[in-house]
Amino acid sequence: MLNYVVRRVLQMIPTVFGVILITFILFNVVGGSPALMTLGRHVSPRMLEEFDEVRGFNKPVIAGLWSETRAYEASDFKRHAGPWREVEGVTHHPAVHREPAHIALAPDEVYPVPLAFTPRADTRFRWVVEYRLDPEGDAAWRYDVPVRNGGEPETETHRMRLEPSAHWQRATLPFDAGEQPGELNMRLSVQGAPLEIRSMKLERRADHVLDSQFVFFLKQLARLDLGTSHVTNQPVTRMIRQGIGPSLQLTVPIFFAGLVIAISLSLICAFYRNTLLDRSFVVLAVALMSINYLVWIVVGQYVLAYRWGWFPVWGFETMAYLALPILIGVISGLGRDLRFYRTVMLDEMYREYVRTAFAKGVSRSGVLFKHVLKNAMITVITNVVIAIPFLYTGSLLLESFFGIPGLGYMGIEAINSSDVDVIRAIVLIGAVLYVAANLLTDICYAVVDPRVKLK
Amino acid sequence: MKRSENNKRGNGGATPSSRDASGGQSLWADAWGRLKRNRLAMFCLVVVILYTAIALYGEGVYRWHQWRDITPSYHRTNLEAQYMPPSFVRSPFAVEGDGDMTYRERMQTGFRELRRHPLGTDGLGRDVLQRLVQGTRIAYMVGIVTSLIAIPIGVLLGCLAGYFGGRVDDFIVWLYSTFASIPGLLFILAIAMVVGQGLLGVYLGIGLTMWVGLCRLIRGEVIKHKEQPYVTAAYALGLGHFRIIFRHILPNVFHVVLVSFTLFFPAAVGTEVFLSFLGIGVEGEPSWGIMISNARLRLWHGVWWEMAAATAALFFIVLAFNLLGDALRDALDPRLRTGKQ
Repeated sequence: MLNYVVRRVLQMIPTVFGVILITFILFNVVGGSPALMTLGRHVSPRMLEEFDEVRGFNKPVIAGLWSETRAYEASDFKRHAGPWREVEGVTHHPAVHREPAHIALAPDEVYPVPLAFTPRADTRFRWVVEYRLDPEGDAAWRYDVPVRNGGEPETETHRMRLEPSAHWQRATLPFDAGEQPGELNMRLSVQGAPLEIRSMKLERRADHVLDSQFVFFLKQLARLDLGTSHVTNQPVTRMIRQGIGPSLQLTVPIFFAGLVIAISLSLICAFYRNTLLDRSFVVLAVALMSINYLVWIVVGQYVLAYRWGWFPVWGFETMAYLALPILIGVISGLGRDLRFYRTVMLDEMYREYVRTAFAKGVSRSGVLFKHVLKNAMITVITNVVIAIPFLYTGSLLLESFFGIPGLGYMGIEAINSSDVDVIRAIVLIGAVLYVAANLLTDICYAVVDPRVKLK
Repeated sequence: MKRSENNKRGNGGATPSSRDASGGQSLWADAWGRLKRNRLAMFCLVVVILYTAIALYGEGVYRWHQWRDITPSYHRTNLEAQYMPPSFVRSPFAVEGDGDMTYRERMQTGFRELRRHPLGTDGLGRDVLQRLVQGTRIAYMVGIVTSLIAIPIGVLLGCLAGYFGGRVDDFIVWLYSTFASIPGLLFILAIAMVVGQGLLGVYLGIGLTMWVGLCRLIRGEVIKHKEQPYVTAAYALGLGHFRIIFRHILPNVFHVVLVSFTLFFPAAVGTEVFLSFLGIGVEGEPSWGIMISNARLRLWHGVWWEMAAATAALFFIVLAFNLLGDALRDALDPRLRTGKQ
């Protein structure tokens, strides 16, 4: 038994890892920049950079040393001069025949490099430039690094030279932003011949190869830190702890009431199978299933709460506020459950032990409640345990419609305000709970049915 | 009875049903015969065809307006005809004529008026019926495009996993169990949010989560078929793996795909309504979700018809597809009964 449990737990690991990987890919890779998604396009690059710094989004994705920084907007000059648009003496040349699009910096001039903000001190950067420079020319980057020289703040000018080359050439120029924060005053001096640049980007060096977003995410998870909501500025773990109570208060009654009602009705169906009653129940179940969940809520709230005044319309103060959402939840799920349990019960009804029981003269209700229900319980329990993780997310719509401050409400709010960390956390926890519930079912199975272990 | 059907279908799709008098029928003809006898299913089929026709008509209207580059009337605001109830609750006598109109003339104008906006108008004076037709078009687009995303993924991965087994199987099972363990609706919402608003987000959100169930079913079926003599025979003839999978096994498990489609479709339509309602889905087009979302606030002022129209449209198509799906499943494969995996 222990052996089996251990094996199943080991099998769980890849799935949990998969869930982490998928949420990571979804939010960090596919989603583009989470900072842009949450903060919008109209904030300064510096704020975006700070957002990324806190959440580890300014690191390479999976592994690597270099990642782009927002201090300089990387450009290939295909359409326009990019960040250089405002700089005087710079001309943009669109692609002509075999000549790629580029910008040209007129000679004998010192150009300020258009940085959105000063790159962080204490970090190593590099320029990656594709350029062409006539052999007579001379071009160099100059920048001032603040140093502390015996108490007096001073700057030291550093210089990086671009090797002249008649053909397009790629150069990487690493530099150190110094130990002190201060203005780098990054500039580019061109002498003798124009400098033509085809593409240019500024990259930031990570601490080591595995200092990446993914590792950052894993480390965060290992600390059970699910990030910080950018809307409320609270840790997500605390928000979830607050939200789970109301969610459970809503979903647990729905779950159990729905279960009891569906099973009782399914037993009635099995008892009167193939009669008008049974068939009308089936049709009713399909009809209930076909009414959209949304409609149940909107119409229920309007008719029962607003029109007839039987229930409070909105809020979460006393238990009375939960009555209507629970009722709606039960009814909307009833069709699906009834159909499912009816199939389960009918499946059992055709078994041989049922025929035997009938043959030896057990009454119909005796067969139904003693034999059939007991045997159907295995399937029922599986279904129940698998459904448990979904209780925790609450009901997205019910909660947001009735103003119940649970996780569902939180999820909808987070989606509306693109609060990446919150959604990621809810998705992740839901998935992990599901995997755990799966494990639990399998163990229950193994306890009930010893044959399972042999496989 | 169930047991005997099980056995009958157990040895490959090609075995003719022994119960039918006309032996030697194909699986599909056999199933069609069984389906035809089910009157409810045939009725549902008619409903589905009707909806399809409406959706095609909606597409035609939409294309025509695009081609002529004019604002379609379901977008045009007409504040004079705001909140007009459906014609079956409007009175033909409500028309104020000028004093010198005869009674007969007034009746005529009154009834002529009833022909406009048979399902009433919404808060901006737009015709509910036309918006409903456009909603049908959107619903069909969502149902079809998401199926076109989900079904190929599910079939391909299911076939590969079932046929090759081993590492491939392990990987695909890992993939789908990972997808299956992520809470569905939130996952869809998250995908839609990441991809961005609009129909593309809806398509990808629903399509990329729905393939899981189909993949599992197909994998199970393919594993069963792999051991069949006809596959061994094909292998012995020296046919390639992919030919065996797609030309020999797939046609025999294709009924699973068909049944899955009839169940995908209503689920996708329902989810689209949900997403559009939350403001993540469709934008700038009158989908049912948008209609319900708009009508929700107006419902509180007693404007019930927009809500009722969208709800009824949604209800009947989902009901028809659900019932048809059930009947199809019973006709094609009695083993895949409701709710059982």
